[in-house]
This record gives sequence, C-alpha cells and structure tokens, in this order.
Amino acid sequence: MAATHEWSESNGAGEVVTDAIANINFGSVDDNNINTITYPITIGQNSFSKYIRGKFTGVFTEISNMKFWKSAGAYIVGESLKAGANVAYATPSQVGTVDTDIPTTEGAALSVNSAEGNPTIEYGVSGVSGYTGYMRLQLRTTGSTPAGAVNQKTLTFQYDEV
Amino acid sequence: MSNSIDINLGRENNSMNSLTFHWFAMFNDGTVINQFDQEGKEHRFQEVKDKFSDLIFFNLTNNKDKFFTVDLKQGVVGCNNHPQSLNTESKETKKNIRLIFFRRRRKEIGCQDLKIKSESIKYHLGFQYNYEDGKNRQTILKIDEEGNFTIE
Repeated sequence: MAATHEWSESNGAGEVVTDAIANINFGSVDDNNINTITYPITIGQNSFSKYIRGKFTGVFTEISNMKFWKSAGAYIVGESLKAGANVAYATPSQVGTVDTDIPTTEGAALSVNSAEGNPTIEYGVSGVSGYTGYMRLQLRTTGSTPAGAVNQKTLTFQYDEV
Repeated sequence: MSNSIDINLGRENNSMNSLTFHWFAMFNDGTVINQFDQEGKEHRFQEVKDKFSDLIFFNLTNNKDKFFTVDLKQGVVGCNNHPQSLNTESKETKKNIRLIFFRRRRKEIGCQDLKIKSESIKYHLGFQYNYEDGKNRQTILKIDEEGNFTIE
C-alpha cells in the first residue's frame, strides 16, 4: 500500500478545511469545488485566492521532493494564474496576492514543504500532521480578457515516496 | 511503533493497494523482508533503512514477467537476471555502494471545470557509489507501471 494522497482546501475566516476536493475551480466566491457558471469572475477582477494543501494518510516511510506546477492549459488574453508555496493561511479574498506566475515546467516548479515547514513528511513522527504547506493560487483577469470561459488547466503535484 | 501494518491484507486482497511492483530485500545474514509477507502484512521500507548497511540484494517484481534486482555487493542492477547498466566500471572501482529506491508519483487536478485527472507512478531503482576519485556516481532504472524502463 502506498501513501494515500488527497487534495485539501481551506476556506473562511476561521479556516474550514475540506479534504478530498474534486477540483480547483476559481470564482467570485470563497468556497471549494466552485461552479464557475454560478460564480464567474468579472472581467478585470481577480478570483478569490485559494489555499490548497496535499494530505497524506496510509502507511509510508517518507514523502520528499514535493513539487507543484501548471502542466497544461493555455491562458487567454489578459489571464494569469499566480501561485506561492509554503505561505501562511489568511482569509481568502479577491485582493491581489503577492505571488508570481505559477511555473509551467517541472524544472521551475514550486518546492513544497510539510505543514510543519520541513522538506519531508515522515510517517508516524510526533507532531507531523500529514499535510503539506499551503499552496496559494489566484486567477487574474484584465480589462482585455474576453468574456466567456477560460481554458481548462491541469495542475500537477509530484513527490517521491518510500 | 510497529513497522508492519496490523491488518491481514496483502497485495491480492487489499483494495487500497495501488502498487504494481512490490519489493523484497535480502541481508547478509540471510534474512529477508518482503513488502508483503506470508501473513499478508505489509512492511514499511523503514525496516530496510534500519538495516541498510547489511543489505545485499533489493528486488522489485510485479509477480508476472518483470523482476528487477540491485546487487549491492557487485554494484549491478538487472532486469530478469540481465544486468542493465551504462557504466562498465569494475566492481573494484565502486566503493560504498548504496541502494537508491523510491516511487515518484504525480497527481493531477484540473481547474475550471476539470476533475482530478490522473496519477502515475515511476519506480526509481538503482545504486550509488563512490568512484576511485571519491566522487559520487549513480545508476538508476526508471520503471513505469508496465515494467518498461530507461537507464539513467
């Protein structure tokens, strides 16, 4: 049995954690698994920021070399996706984050630590939660972004496990 | 904390088992650790790490047609008993031979109306050693879930 990995998202002022999310859809609401038709992003505005983590359960010895990047999906005019790794949680909002464009290659990928700030997640060690640090994401548009849906994108999380 | 999973589930009846290849390790005192033992318990790689200096063979198999072996006495990695290596250095030039093994996993998730898309596993298996000049060198097979591999 390998370690079990699932995606987790945190929302709200009091940080409500939702594990096993199905997607990372961006929209005009602070919530997980957003319906983008119900909560579209107004042209020229930002999405609500998203705080995503990986969560490891099951039995393993060590998780290491954790990386995160955008592996597929082209931008439309004026669109960008910002990302930062190992950030502190804050109530998600539409205020622009300080993050830079998400890397689009494995070689430039963001390095992700454990929630406790270590480069590895060791099984069964006291105080280890099994979560990674937060990956903060925000989709941005400009006044030149055309109306309608943006392209679908794929985000990749890679790690080494024994 | 015990290193084995205390439930009677093995690779054949463990619905959570998502691994195609499983390992077993042999030590210089003749003892063996199977990832899944005869009672169906799974052992953690930590047990191998705890006896790393005594490890002489480390094997990876899908129990069908593929069997990969690292011989840590000779510094050779092979597939189905055929040595696979790009380096032709003799055993005498390889000092401090150490196992390399991990699973590299990729999990994808979609944004803007895509759901979790796929995951993949590549098994990295090989060894590293110190050459005569003291520099570290390594030979690694990158094995996919079908048993196809490349040599690095």
